[in-house]
Amino acid sequence: MHHTHELELFPDRKVTQVLFQEVKNAAELRQIAVDGQINAALINPTMLVHPLQVLVAANKAVHLQNTGKMKTRSLNSEIIFNLSPTNKISEAFKRFGISDGDDSVMVVMVHDKNESQLVEDIVTKVDGRQVPVEELSSLSDSANIRKLYKVCPQEETCGTLLDAVICRMATKDVM
Amino acid sequence: MAKERSGVIHELLRKAELLKQGAEARVYRAQFLGRSVIVKERFAKRYRHPGLDDKLTHRRTVQEVRSILRCRRGGISAPVVYFVDHTFHCIFLEEILGSLTVRDHIAFTQQSDSCEDRELEQLAQRVGQILAKMHDEDVIHGDLTTSNMLLRRGQEDKESDLVLIDFGLSYISSLPEDKGVDLYVLEKAFLSTHPNTEALFKVLLKSYTASSKKSSAVIKKLDEVRLRGRKRSMVG
Repeated sequence: MHHTHELELFPDRKVTQVLFQEVKNAAELRQIAVDGQINAALINPTMLVHPLQVLVAANKAVHLQNTGKMKTRSLNSEIIFNLSPTNKISEAFKRFGISDGDDSVMVVMVHDKNESQLVEDIVTKVDGRQVPVEELSSLSDSANIRKLYKVCPQEETCGTLLDAVICRMATKDVM
Repeated sequence: MAKERSGVIHELLRKAELLKQGAEARVYRAQFLGRSVIVKERFAKRYRHPGLDDKLTHRRTVQEVRSILRCRRGGISAPVVYFVDHTFHCIFLEEILGSLTVRDHIAFTQQSDSCEDRELEQLAQRVGQILAKMHDEDVIHGDLTTSNMLLRRGQEDKESDLVLIDFGLSYISSLPEDKGVDLYVLEKAFLSTHPNTEALFKVLLKSYTASSKKSSAVIKKLDEVRLRGRKRSMVG
């Protein structure tokens, strides 16, 4: 159901993604995340094309944390910031973080141990139905993603929407 | 965190397969985030002043990545960029699987007995078109050779995809002179690599001229550059 990947560049750092639908306590979740009671990034899944998008953001975040070059204050906020095509932190949170009325949430955790306990803890905190991460594409709002990342039809002739999004994420700081 | 001295590379690169070592960079194949990637590492040049070396290497890395993104935005196939490590100057790129260089394709096609002219002409036309598109985006490749063009097998019955790679010497420029030189580099590489292909290259240029909105100025410059070259008299 959930998806875990060990970062090749940072062995022992794993990224776990847990997806929920029919979420009823988004506001509460957002609050406890802000208070630092959940060590996770809470992401709006309608802005995600594929779990790889999250891995690219998380990998970059861990790299920047290790080299002391994060733009935001925590690893979790850095993951959200890396998803965004712009350099405005507040905008990244507005678009990619969860809002009080959201009914779906992607929970992303970077950790070094086995994830089962972490996933269990998250499942108890979220008032919603856990769904397989593979179902992420059915939640994607492609039109909105294209608009936000400014992907034109021409670019999609030489690659997928995921390719376009990843390229922008990887090169944001030098474009 | 202090940057480690050159020569120290990621654990990943230590275990990865080294494909090529050039004067400027090492190219590896590795697995990254569940995908097959090519990692291009621009290693430190110890013969350079370290401060200068770092700036230069960084600049080259940035130019490469900007050119790739510009191409993609213009609908020109180039590898997807997954990650750029600015501390070690490594670019993590999509590995184009199931592909053949245009160089090998031309060589194999010429070797076989079958009627190749039409097929190679069509390929030359496509190359001309894609280069016209690239130059219209003001991307100068900098190292145009048939080894830097890949033919990727298309899905099902779709035509194979022409992918440009190795943007290591690329930069952004609108000058016809730069575009002319880009084509000149290709012409020299093309004619020396593939014997008896003057006519084929003419087809490529014809296709380029037809496909680019700014081609006449570029071809004019190409003619001028040809007159310059090595062993050329510059007597007016």
